[in-house]
Amino acid sequence: MTIMDLKPGEAFVVRGVALARETGKRLADMGFTTGVEGRLVRKALFGDPVQVSILGYHVSIRKAEAVGVTIDKVLAPL
Amino acid sequence: MTALRIALAGNPNSGKTTLFNKLTGSHQKVGNYAGVTVDTKEGRLVHRGREIVLYDLPGTYSLTAYSLDEIIARDFVLDQKPDLIINVLDATNLERNLFLGLQFQELGIPLVAALNIIDQAEDRGLRIDHKTLGTLFQIPIVRTVGPKGQGLDELLDAAVALADAPGSPTPHLYGVALESVLARLTSALETDPEFTVSYPSRWMALKLLEKDSDAKKKLGSHRDQPLVEAALAEGIADLERPSGRDSEILVSEARYGAIHGAAKQTIRRDRATVPFTEYVDALLINRFLGLPIFLAILWGVFQATFTLGAYPQDWLNQGFQWLTDGVKTLLAPGLLRSLFADGVLGGLGSVLSFIPLVIILFVFISFLEDTGYMSRAAFVMDKFLHLFGLHGQSFLPMMLGFGCSVPAIMAARTLKSTKDRILTVLVTPFMSCGAKLPVYILLAGSFFPKNPGAVVLSVYLIGIGLALTSSWIFRRTVLRGETTPFVMELPPYRMPTLKGVSWHVWDKSFQYFKKAGTVILAASVLVWAITTFPQAPEGTPPEQAMATSTAGWIGKALEPAVRPMGFDWKVAVATVTGFAAKETVVSTLGILYKVGDSTGDDQPLQTALRNDPVFSPLVAYTLMLFTLILAPCFAAQATIRAELGTKWLVFYVVFSILLSWTLCTGVFQIGTLFKIGV
Repeated sequence: MTIMDLKPGEAFVVRGVALARETGKRLADMGFTTGVEGRLVRKALFGDPVQVSILGYHVSIRKAEAVGVTIDKVLAPL
Repeated sequence: MTALRIALAGNPNSGKTTLFNKLTGSHQKVGNYAGVTVDTKEGRLVHRGREIVLYDLPGTYSLTAYSLDEIIARDFVLDQKPDLIINVLDATNLERNLFLGLQFQELGIPLVAALNIIDQAEDRGLRIDHKTLGTLFQIPIVRTVGPKGQGLDELLDAAVALADAPGSPTPHLYGVALESVLARLTSALETDPEFTVSYPSRWMALKLLEKDSDAKKKLGSHRDQPLVEAALAEGIADLERPSGRDSEILVSEARYGAIHGAAKQTIRRDRATVPFTEYVDALLINRFLGLPIFLAILWGVFQATFTLGAYPQDWLNQGFQWLTDGVKTLLAPGLLRSLFADGVLGGLGSVLSFIPLVIILFVFISFLEDTGYMSRAAFVMDKFLHLFGLHGQSFLPMMLGFGCSVPAIMAARTLKSTKDRILTVLVTPFMSCGAKLPVYILLAGSFFPKNPGAVVLSVYLIGIGLALTSSWIFRRTVLRGETTPFVMELPPYRMPTLKGVSWHVWDKSFQYFKKAGTVILAASVLVWAITTFPQAPEGTPPEQAMATSTAGWIGKALEPAVRPMGFDWKVAVATVTGFAAKETVVSTLGILYKVGDSTGDDQPLQTALRNDPVFSPLVAYTLMLFTLILAPCFAAQATIRAELGTKWLVFYVVFSILLSWTLCTGVFQIGTLFKIGV
């Protein structure tokens, strides 16, 4: 599953970034790497972009990028 | 002893600028480094008798070749080879900040880290064992609180100590798989010792494994390129084979692996707190309230700007009138008096009179920027702007454009991708700047006395509409290509400081003053010259003198071109002079309609325009549109040229002429056909 499959407030652990070139690299550099925990905070009005909490900070990414981050859902909310 | 050269690096929002200002005080200047449009600030200080030059690098999250800021930061280190790097780390967000720090360490320059905003981190329950952390990465770490100036002496002590006795070499912490590939690749690179003097081998090896386009280009100067290429291909294959993942990503994962490992040992969380920021966000960017709140803030800012700005604008107008009168009494009638009174003072006066407006708008915007709200606004607006091919962050330059296009165009530098930046610069002039407002007010007041406000607002809205439409068109024609990622940090809300806000306002206004002092002044004198020469005989009424001047001649020559829009030569002259500054259109019309050039009192000019058979509400509205769309003033054009180059400026000017002519002709002809407003 990907970040877009989550509901706001749900937590996840990153499996990996399945995107190529700049987008994938950018996400990895911002901390979306294997094993990192995060949380989908909210979606904007039309479900795009989304606000994600990761490594203790908040980042906005577009739907097109969020569907490229494969995750496992975890129960414990941060 | 020569001065110690130190580069200051760090993430955006890490408090780097505050630290830079605290360290250097007012002893700084904007340095320009070859071929780049982004300024690198430098400042001087003396610490315990030691002279230090501090270079403020652009704030970045990484050092890839994907964005201009990142290339500038790393090329600065590679080309200028500073003695030392001070890396500012936001203690509340240590892991992501360390990710950049490690990349600077890879560049092979001694590194000291400032564990900044440590007070906020501790308030949030974070306990950081910075000594152990420093030992693990072989980086001296000093605790600092930038805004309070805490820890700065210790930071500089550590920096000087490290510069005098370079510490241990970079530790190899990126895991067995990557480190063994790195070992082979670095030894291949080191077959050319001269190459590794320019480009440290570990850095080069990592960049090559990251498939960095710029590093690959640099490899061209290696003595044994085929050997390195072979080692690289083998290395990438070794990395990618086990997991099937991209080596570019695996390098980032290895860096974060080292960081997470160190963080587990050295960072403890006493208590879990929900930061204040989350509560504010729950309201401000609430899924349904976010947009209305944003629009309300925007409306409030403009309302306040124009209400508050009217007073100082009036005082400045009066002041300049007084100065002009003074010059007229001091100097004998003649060319010199005319040059100073009409050319220099008239030109500067009209420009300076809306500076208060611009500054007040900048105060509000800088305040919002410093709180952290602007990135939230980009979050709220991104979907909408993205529909038209723009970027969430495009909206800040566009908003500044309502004040003055010059700083607005420069603000587009915050956009990472070149295409987004070009696009934003090209559409920003459609935002009606403060100088166009007097033109709208004059025309709307004369021909739409019942609801001038609504008419002016409609012109503003048409401008926004045109910006979005042209962006949509550019994206599908001249600026085609894949969309760039929108990965934007939403920093914690912070209370802006008076110092910080005034700093930003000064920074933006300064760009404007510089243009006003050079381009606009020169343009004003030029406009004065073409409206004065060839000189009419003594005693000629001013309107006739203008008619027989070069400007009048140009206007008459242009009349056939502006006729389809319903304009005559007088409007053409006003348009030409408008290139100096848009509100000059008003004063030029004032002269041509024999009501003098008093811009303070528009009543006689309004009556004169209404009595001219050429003008009608339709023509007035068409002229407002023409003023809106036609290429901006020379100062803004010079800025576009500085930011994007001559090619894009020419493209833009031609585009705006064609668009304004086509659209205004269409409006006038259709309006005439259906007898609307004639």
